[in-house]
Amino acid sequence: MQILPYNGAQLVDLCSALLLLTCFAIVAQRRLSSCVDLFALQSAFLVVTAALVAYLTGNQHLYIAAALTAVIKVIIIPLVLKKVIDRLNVKRELVMYVNVPTGLLICGGLVMLAFFIAQPIIPFGFLLTRDSLAIALGIVLIGFFTMIARQKAVTQLVGFLVLENGLFLAATAATYGMPLIVELGVFFDVLIATLIAGIYTNRLQDAFDNVDTNRLTVLKE
Amino acid sequence: MIEVAALVAAPLFAGGLSLTVHRSALLHAINLMSMAILVTAEIMITRTMLKDGPFTALEQLVYLDALSTFILFIIGTVGLACSFYMRSYLDEQVARGVIAPTRLNLFFFLFHMFLLAMIVATIANSVGVQWVAIEATTLATTFLIAFWRRRESLEAGWKYLILCSVGISLALFGVVLLYYSSLHVLSDVGQALNVTQLLTVADRLNPHVLKLAFIFILVGYGTKVGLVPMHSWLPDAYTEAPAPVVAMLAGVLEVVSVYAILRMRVIVDHAVPFAFTGGLLALLGFASLVTAAFFILIQHNYKRLFAYSSIEHMGIAMIGFGVGGALGTFGGLFHLLNHAFAKSMAFFAAGNIHRRFHTVEIGQVQGVSTAQPWTAMALMISGLALSALPPFSSFASEVQVVTALASQGVPGMWFTSTEGMVTIALSDQFERLALTAVFLMSVALAFGGLIYRITGMVWGTPTEGVLRQETWSLGHLPVILLAGALVVFSVFLPPPIRQLLEQATTILVIQ
Repeated sequence: MQILPYNGAQLVDLCSALLLLTCFAIVAQRRLSSCVDLFALQSAFLVVTAALVAYLTGNQHLYIAAALTAVIKVIIIPLVLKKVIDRLNVKRELVMYVNVPTGLLICGGLVMLAFFIAQPIIPFGFLLTRDSLAIALGIVLIGFFTMIARQKAVTQLVGFLVLENGLFLAATAATYGMPLIVELGVFFDVLIATLIAGIYTNRLQDAFDNVDTNRLTVLKE
Repeated sequence: MIEVAALVAAPLFAGGLSLTVHRSALLHAINLMSMAILVTAEIMITRTMLKDGPFTALEQLVYLDALSTFILFIIGTVGLACSFYMRSYLDEQVARGVIAPTRLNLFFFLFHMFLLAMIVATIANSVGVQWVAIEATTLATTFLIAFWRRRESLEAGWKYLILCSVGISLALFGVVLLYYSSLHVLSDVGQALNVTQLLTVADRLNPHVLKLAFIFILVGYGTKVGLVPMHSWLPDAYTEAPAPVVAMLAGVLEVVSVYAILRMRVIVDHAVPFAFTGGLLALLGFASLVTAAFFILIQHNYKRLFAYSSIEHMGIAMIGFGVGGALGTFGGLFHLLNHAFAKSMAFFAAGNIHRRFHTVEIGQVQGVSTAQPWTAMALMISGLALSALPPFSSFASEVQVVTALASQGVPGMWFTSTEGMVTIALSDQFERLALTAVFLMSVALAFGGLIYRITGMVWGTPTEGVLRQETWSLGHLPVILLAGALVVFSVFLPPPIRQLLEQATTILVIQ
């Protein structure tokens, strides 16, 4: 089936919007394991987006990136995080710095901010994916916000991974992917960072009997 | 290009080999061997560079010019000094049972990976590869910082990992934006992030995109430099990490991160007026200088004292780069070198004191001159050098920066260019005067705080039960050499280093 360029752009936009939607779901979710599931779902949407862009533009190396995302972000990282959560004694985020409705409102504002920042540079983009750049920036900002608003080490980690997904979407959307060597390096870094953070979470659990990062207040002025 | 390959291969092999070895003497031997190869390769590269000019190697993957060679020189020197210091430091920690002997090889493995990542970040031609390498430095060092596995070190390590990873992610967004703008000009997708390619087309890149990219990259790598307001991880990490690791973090990693910002800045300056990048750098520089001077004044923990002094000096270097021109840029680069030497020395001394007095509280440390004469001397010298007093070369570089600031002022401090957001209706001369006054005041505050605390530690009588003798060990050698270099460099810069600095300055100054 031949996909017209206009329809192709619509499809890419749809996928990017789904990514953004899962971000809001993560912000609204208190159960740690559900946050991880949502992250896996978001990564799956990312795989679809990347594969779609690869198919529409004929960029072969994007297929590799999509496959790597599928393996690392949809399968391996969620498995690692689930293992980490199994060891924790608290499975839910009970206290948040910002409650859910306020958090959602703030995230809405962040998306508007992202569109505002990206507005001047959008016209230089490729026709197919140019709206996705603003969405990607929005996802980055929401990931940022999640890291600040949550206390559990695991949810902070999920926030970081969401942020990374936003960056990957930006690279896919704005430039049809980075050079392969860079992309491989980024995947490697993300994987190792997650493993290290997982090990840390275990050690924090052992040392503090808790993974609330607001307990980390030994060091201060 | 055997010497370029050796730069990467030496730490890689040494790291792999370290994992299979358990004997401490062997681990140190491997480390010293790898450092020797590194330094030799660096000397060869410097000679080639000075003779034939900048060159690419290994299929365009590596790009070496005066700037990156200069950074390599700092990595090599401080790395070598650390390796000597580590010998006595680690052996004593193992003997005291702080480190299990089986974990020693892990320490060395991570140390080599850290070195490798910094070298790759310095020599990479592609801005993307450079990003990957700088993120890799975060991953390699986070366990080094938390190596003691106490509560405090876990906290410091976690903070470091999260803050730096997030900061660095923002830098990746900047790299994506840079790629976005360069793809429209360069047709070759594989090369569009290479510095060599970017420099040839930099003036045709889209200025809007470049500005946005530079802000993201400055915030991202600025987090790793520890510029205010992204500095909150730095004092914790510097307090908790083992002394040789801190010496590397403060002496080398900060320099490599500054280098990454400067590389980007050169590209942006081709397309955007110089005042944009200069103003931003100077802004962060002043924020760091003033904040750090205040915290130095109220500090009661000597490792944190040196950590804030790092922030202060990075601020000074940033002001130098922000003011720009030949003098400011030269001063900034020279200051990076002086700070790397003086600060690694300071942390060697701090490590010795901590091992003897078992506290990081300044109030509980007295009479270091009686207990550890060598260390007291190192502490005093590094303190004086960090306060930028003559006859140390940091005095020369700080004078260069402040002269540049007083004569040129900060370029377009506020963005008057396109958006016309804020314009300050002050006369040019008044602005220069005020900024210079702020600079000198902060430096004076930092000087007072630093010297007051250090003299308090050096003189007096040590508390009961503290051993009062210091036997000569290999760990004292780098301290003496670094101190000597600081004094010699203030009156005489060896010709190769001077040439490197001058050529690096011409790379950074865009007319």
